[in-house]
Formats: sequence, C-alpha cells, structure tokens
Amino acid sequence: MKFKLISCEIFFREMEFLLEQSPHQIDVEFLQKGLHDIPTEEMLKRIQAQVDAASEQNYDTIILGYALCNNGLVGLKARNTKLILTRAHDCITLFFGSRQKYQDYFNAHPGTYFKTTGWIERDYVSEELKPLSIPNQMGMDQTYEELVEQYGEDNAEFLWEELCDTKKNYSQITFIEMGVEPDDRFETLSKQEAVERHWTYEKTAGNLTLIRRLLNGDWDNEDFLTVAPGSEVAASHNENIVKSVPSAGQA
Amino acid sequence: MARNEALYEAVLKGKRKDVAVLVQEDIDANVNVESILMDSMVPAMSEIGDRFSRNEAYVPEMLIAARAMQAGLDLLDPLLQEAGHEPIGKVAIGTVKGDLHDIGKNLVAMMLKGAGFEVMDLGVDCDVDKYKEAVEGGAQVILLSALLTTTMPYMKEVVSSLSGCGAKILIGGAPVTQDYANEIGADGYSDDANTAVKATKDALGIAA
Repeated sequence: MKFKLISCEIFFREMEFLLEQSPHQIDVEFLQKGLHDIPTEEMLKRIQAQVDAASEQNYDTIILGYALCNNGLVGLKARNTKLILTRAHDCITLFFGSRQKYQDYFNAHPGTYFKTTGWIERDYVSEELKPLSIPNQMGMDQTYEELVEQYGEDNAEFLWEELCDTKKNYSQITFIEMGVEPDDRFETLSKQEAVERHWTYEKTAGNLTLIRRLLNGDWDNEDFLTVAPGSEVAASHNENIVKSVPSAGQA
Repeated sequence: MARNEALYEAVLKGKRKDVAVLVQEDIDANVNVESILMDSMVPAMSEIGDRFSRNEAYVPEMLIAARAMQAGLDLLDPLLQEAGHEPIGKVAIGTVKGDLHDIGKNLVAMMLKGAGFEVMDLGVDCDVDKYKEAVEGGAQVILLSALLTTTMPYMKEVVSSLSGCGAKILIGGAPVTQDYANEIGADGYSDDANTAVKATKDALGIAA
C-alpha cells in the first residue's frame, strides 16, 4: 500500500526509525511543532492544506502523526482519501504506547513535564509563526527585562510570576526513553533541567507500539479513528477522544 | 458621587502605589467608601475589560489593573464591611481535578473581584467535593477552568454532581466551547476573562 504520512516533527526520530521497518511505501511530510503554539484554527488550516495536497495524489490512505492536540485537529476534513488518526489527547500517549498508560501516569504524577528527543530538539516556534503564537499574543513570552521596560519594575515582577512563569505548578520532569536516542545527551539535558528547577526527575520507558501500528497499517477502531471521505475529525469528549462526523458544506 | 478621575486612571493604568495613596486620601477625606469602590474603581476595571475585548488592551494590562485594584481593596475592605456593603454576588472559581494550570483562572478571578464580586478562589486540581463546599459556603456561581482536553471531561462530572444545588455553573478554558457547555448542561461558557464577568452577571440576572 502507498501511504502519505503527515506528522508533527515531535515524532521525528521515532518515525524515522519505524518507517524503515514498515512494509508499506510511505511518503512523509513533517510539520513544525510550533503549530501547537498558534491558534487552533491556524494549526488546522496548515494541516488541512497538507491533507488537501496529498489528496490530489494517489495515496491509499493519509496517516496523521497527530492526536487531538488541544482541538487543533478538530474539523480536519478527509477529501477523497481516508485519514487515520490515533485516539489520543496528545503526543504523550503515542510515546507511552497506550492512552490508558498515559492516563495512569498522569494521575499518579500530576505536574509532570514530559521530555523526549523531539521535546528537546524541536520545541520551538519559528520566526514565521511567532507573530501568531498565543504566548506571544498574550505577552507571555517576554523576558523579565522586556517587562520592566514596558511596565516598570514593580509590575514586571508580578507579571513574571503571574503570566510568564507557565511552569510554576509543575514539579517533575519525566524523560520518556523511546529506544531511538543515539546517546545519553537527551537524558542528561532532562536531568539537568530538573536539577535547575529543583524538580524531581524520573526516567520511564516509552513504547513504540502505537506509532509502529500507525505506520504499519494495523488500525483497529479501539486505538485508531478512520475518517472516511466526506467526514471530518471531531472531539468525542469521552474515552474514545476523537470521532468522525459528516463534513458540513462538503459535496 | 462623582468619579475620582485620578483614581480611575491609576487603576486603569495599573499604578498600584498611586491607587493605594489615592484611596487613602479619599478615606481620610471621609469620602463614602462604597462610592470609592463603585464610582471610580469598578468602572476602571470594566473599562480595561472592554478595551481587552476590543483588542485595545492585552492580558498584561488587565493583570496590572486588577492588581492595582486589589491594592485599593486591601484598604477599603474592612471599611466596606463596617459600612455593611454587600458584594454584587458571591462566586467560586477553580481549575478542575488533574489540571494545575491557573493563569487564566487567576485572571478571571481578578476580573470578577474587580467587578465587585466576592470571589472564593479554590485553586487548582479541584475535585467535586471542593466545589460542593463552595456551594455550601454560599457561592451562587461556580466557575470551572481547564486547559487540557485530558482534564476537561471532569467538568461533566462536576456539573452532574452539582445538579440541583442551586448554584449556576460556568465553564471556560482553552479547549472549552459553547457546544461542550451545552452538551454537559453547564449554565454558561465564556472564552475570555472579560466575557466571563458578563456571563457571571448574566447568570445572576445582574444588569451589565
């Protein structure tokens, strides 16, 4: 079979590793992780453009290296080629290999910031997307010095704590080891960050099963959503996470 | 009573120290404390909120205005109580269980205070019991916040557990939509801190 993979670059190393092993012919398009930092309608627009372009070609299926992604995929339309999306809130489920495992970890370790190779190498917003980014629009990505200049010392201190210190309620870094790391530099960086922030550090084993199944065409309804032509992605607000609904206004 | 223009401007511009000085001057001059609050400070907060809705002011400006307002409230509160001043309503706000994000929740809480509400801030990671206690404590409106789609479904649990309690329930946060509010039977939804104040007033039938 011939697939098109449209994926967030956060999975770059995992995808590259598993693509080699897939029995299928897969053309790949990685999109910037920074799409998650812009308004959802802007994120959707950019992913839809890739889906539309791929739909013009002869692919059997378009597979998505995404999740619900804070509703960034809601409204994504399948044109004449079906779409496959993993049933997951975000990429961390794909790193854990199961949404139950992620949920259990999430419940047991509130306030955890997850790190993987992608979250270390690719967690930035490009200059092109910066003006659109929500942190930028909300004034959250200013430096302390910029705040002082604009609002004075007294208010700057307050704004820094109230608005810019987005990780103030976090208390742990968990490095998810996927087995695709070339050396221990990613783990070391994660550990270092935890020490600097005075947070606890934990390393946990990831699981490539879900990503492998995504690339190998092993899509059951339990873990994957199929969006048939004429339908679009919607949030299901239950344990299925995503559902397919008929597209409004599409012939 | 006329508006104290200097005080109004100081709140609007987020000049906390000026606000404290001006409020103290008014108190010393025996200006009616309720008037200081309702004629000068609350209108300033309402104006900054409206400017935000018109994209003429941004979150940092709203935050520093709310903080300046609080500096005045710290001085006024004991006197308001003495004078038998009643808040325009009593509300409680908290981020739902499992979710530790509070930037938006804090901003909404500050804007509600700025509008003259008594606000019980329940913090983050709030379970059903915490909201129930707030209702028992007299909250007329309960505001639920969530930043993640992982934690948003808990809102449904809160709404169904509090059904029939008498308090109105409003929801908000990045992934929350009006459709979701309808789906779970919440009494209202808003997508920013200024409309949250309006939705709270609407829920209680208070004129804007």
